[in-house]
Amino acid sequence: MATRSITGLGAYLPLLRLDRQTAAKALRWSGLGGPRTGRRAVAAFDEDALTLAVEAARLATAPAGAIAKAVVATTSAPFFERSQAGILIDALHLPSATRAQDVGGSRRAGVSALLDALLGGTGDVLIAAGERRPTQVGNGLQLAWGDGAAAVLVGDGEGARLLGHASLAHDLVDVYASREHPTPYQAEERFIRDTAVAAILVPTISAALDAAGLEAGDIAAAVVHEPVTGTYKAVAGALGLKVANLAEAVTEGAGDLGTAHVFFALGLALEKAVVGDRILLAGFGGGCDVLVLEVRAPVAGAGHAGAALGQGLGLADYVRFLSLTGSLDLDWGPRSELEQKTSASVLERYGRDMAGFIGGRDAAGNTQFPKTRLPVAPGVEAAPMTDVRLADETGTIVSITADRLNYCPDPPFYFGLVQFPGGARVLMEVTDIAGTPPAVGDPLAMRFRVKSADRRRGFRTYFWKAAPVARPSLEG
Amino acid sequence: MATGIRDKVAILGMGCTNFGERWDAGSEDLMVEAFTEALADAGIAREDIQAAWLGAALDDVNVGNSALPLAFALRLRPMPVTRVENMCATGTEALRAAVYAVAAGACDIALALGVEKLKDTGYGGLPLRTKGLANDLWMPYGSAPGSFAQLAGAYARRHGIEAGDLKRAMAHVSWKSHQNGALNPKAHLRKAVSMDTILNAPLIADPLGLFDCCGVSDGAACAIVTTPDIARGLGKRDIVTVKAIQLSASNGWESQHGTWDGSYVRNTREASRRAYAEAGINDPRVQLGLTEVHDCFSITELVTMEDLGLSDEGRAPFDILDGRFDRDGTLPCQIDGGLKCFGHPVGASGLRMAYEVYSQLLGRAGERQRATVDFGLTHNLGGAPFNSVAAVSILGRLD
Repeated sequence: MATRSITGLGAYLPLLRLDRQTAAKALRWSGLGGPRTGRRAVAAFDEDALTLAVEAARLATAPAGAIAKAVVATTSAPFFERSQAGILIDALHLPSATRAQDVGGSRRAGVSALLDALLGGTGDVLIAAGERRPTQVGNGLQLAWGDGAAAVLVGDGEGARLLGHASLAHDLVDVYASREHPTPYQAEERFIRDTAVAAILVPTISAALDAAGLEAGDIAAAVVHEPVTGTYKAVAGALGLKVANLAEAVTEGAGDLGTAHVFFALGLALEKAVVGDRILLAGFGGGCDVLVLEVRAPVAGAGHAGAALGQGLGLADYVRFLSLTGSLDLDWGPRSELEQKTSASVLERYGRDMAGFIGGRDAAGNTQFPKTRLPVAPGVEAAPMTDVRLADETGTIVSITADRLNYCPDPPFYFGLVQFPGGARVLMEVTDIAGTPPAVGDPLAMRFRVKSADRRRGFRTYFWKAAPVARPSLEG
Repeated sequence: MATGIRDKVAILGMGCTNFGERWDAGSEDLMVEAFTEALADAGIAREDIQAAWLGAALDDVNVGNSALPLAFALRLRPMPVTRVENMCATGTEALRAAVYAVAAGACDIALALGVEKLKDTGYGGLPLRTKGLANDLWMPYGSAPGSFAQLAGAYARRHGIEAGDLKRAMAHVSWKSHQNGALNPKAHLRKAVSMDTILNAPLIADPLGLFDCCGVSDGAACAIVTTPDIARGLGKRDIVTVKAIQLSASNGWESQHGTWDGSYVRNTREASRRAYAEAGINDPRVQLGLTEVHDCFSITELVTMEDLGLSDEGRAPFDILDGRFDRDGTLPCQIDGGLKCFGHPVGASGLRMAYEVYSQLLGRAGERQRATVDFGLTHNLGGAPFNSVAAVSILGRLD
């Protein structure tokens, strides 16, 4: 059996959580809706599957950690042709020789990549899964699904080790999205549940348990990605599993996170696990991959998932939710007609420093951003600057305002001067404001975000924005 | 050793259009209107002009780039014509170029004309502009009020000013400009507004409300300059001369490095220090008769009073509330209504300020006329407090 383990985990949710009751009230007249309890994580206007995955990956890896391969798993990749994993490598400031891979095709893609990484290979493998999936108003999946990310790190150290596994390819069309129909189209729920249980999950979980040499009663925690509510209950009844399915807690608190869902719920399982616990993991979609893991040592970062579920800002404005999810195309007026075309050659010249938030250190040791031929610090000799990554630093606010004039898809637009240790000072967008805006002198953490979205040409660029270092606790 | 330009150049004539929403006029009309007034004031023929500078900051809105819009509009004979741009300091930059040309002896009579046709954008505020392809990769796309609003928080923190006190002082700045604008027949906004209206207006960029912000306007202003000797030869008796024009531009110190706390504008301090020296002004609070400063936002004017040395550090809010800079105060500021009410056609604004000082020095300011004006100061601030170009000029009578 494999000797590689899950050694790190990161989980990240956007700030905003829609109370599903808010949507239920707004849709009551129509009889449409979907789930009515719990919360749905809602990406900010400047987040996408990649930015969410990058944030989760930052939590799963130590800064400047050695990574042999980086995988981005998503079914909502912002680009069909442009490697998300390549951008993630730049965002994490990993060596350009790091192997990059993008996987998708179904929400199972992340778990499939995890299984492959556990079965062989050398060096640390990072698998970062993120989703921001488009959905249609009225479709129950708009409320059932959520935006978020989780990442796992696989290496040769101790952590959660693979005891057994089984896979099944089965083209059950429970839900699909296509280029012609980008939002999900779902089959009848009872059909999905019955087929998923009988034809896919029960036989494959049984096979995995057999491969691990375990009985259902040996499992301490289950993470089973349900295609519809009630699936796990039926599976557990059929197999004699007595433990709760932690994937349901993620669905309740944030929504179905697609490729990130199982990783996220694994964080909940690992946080509570003790050495020796066996965890059942099932990724679903176009069949399934089932992994049986044994906890050999605590896994770094396991606490991020629980923390992310418990922190955030309630969103009680349904129209704002529709706007943020792209379901409502508001006319933002002529100021939104800003030309945002990006030059490929300019991006080639500066893009890596932007994605990694790389500034320079001058001959006297001062930091600055961006790097320049002549240093901004007065009286310092011109010399080639050494790279300095600012993304992992905490900045402080020199000045800030809430701008209500210029176009912003989720106004107001906060921006200001941010001071970094070492001397660098950067004019930055400030995002994820929860309640009272930060004031002069407050600390800010850096977040990887969409900088510009050229809707006319379907292109976007990425940069870092500053955000309050702590989030409020969600009540209830 | 440089000797400066003090009294080397005289203003022979000036013109200024009505500012405002000039739906009736294109940029060509505005240029001709301002020029016609200036030419008549100068008492020369169009053919006497030997070089010209066009100030237009936002070339993509109706004016067009290069020198050609000016040369075409005025049908200038073949001569050196140049377009200059330095954000909101553009008008003063055009004047500086013409003044330097005359002071250098490169020509006898030069024209500086600033124009902007902004209301054809179809929306309020400044036109949308790229920051450059590389800067667009990281720099926030904040608005002008958003950039200047940041002065307020930093200023309050530095000086321990209560938010309410600062807000009232800012409101007084705008209240005073509306009072003044009501007396100016060429002003864009000619309606007085109450303090309550100003204080309760919707926020544009915290803590700036609607009335803390100047709008943008259509308009043009122009100056014809020559040497004092030529001016005398043309029969001019009351001769207004340029005492100083100074500029200062950011090099990244404020926004990329340094100890700047965001509460003042370094370039205004630098440009005014040099301008006072060039003009021989030792005590600006006493010697200056009026100022026309870049009140793009009320907080800008407030901070500028300290940056120009007209208020002590941390005292501008209280001097403003005491009325020191009102029309009947000891040192009026924006007696013509300022950017706030006269209007802000960006490329023309520096020359509009000079036009008011020139008018005051010659006793032509009508209801706004001050009894005694020996020197007047103009101040432009382009960009943002953290990335700025400041221009300060001082005009006075020929010694």
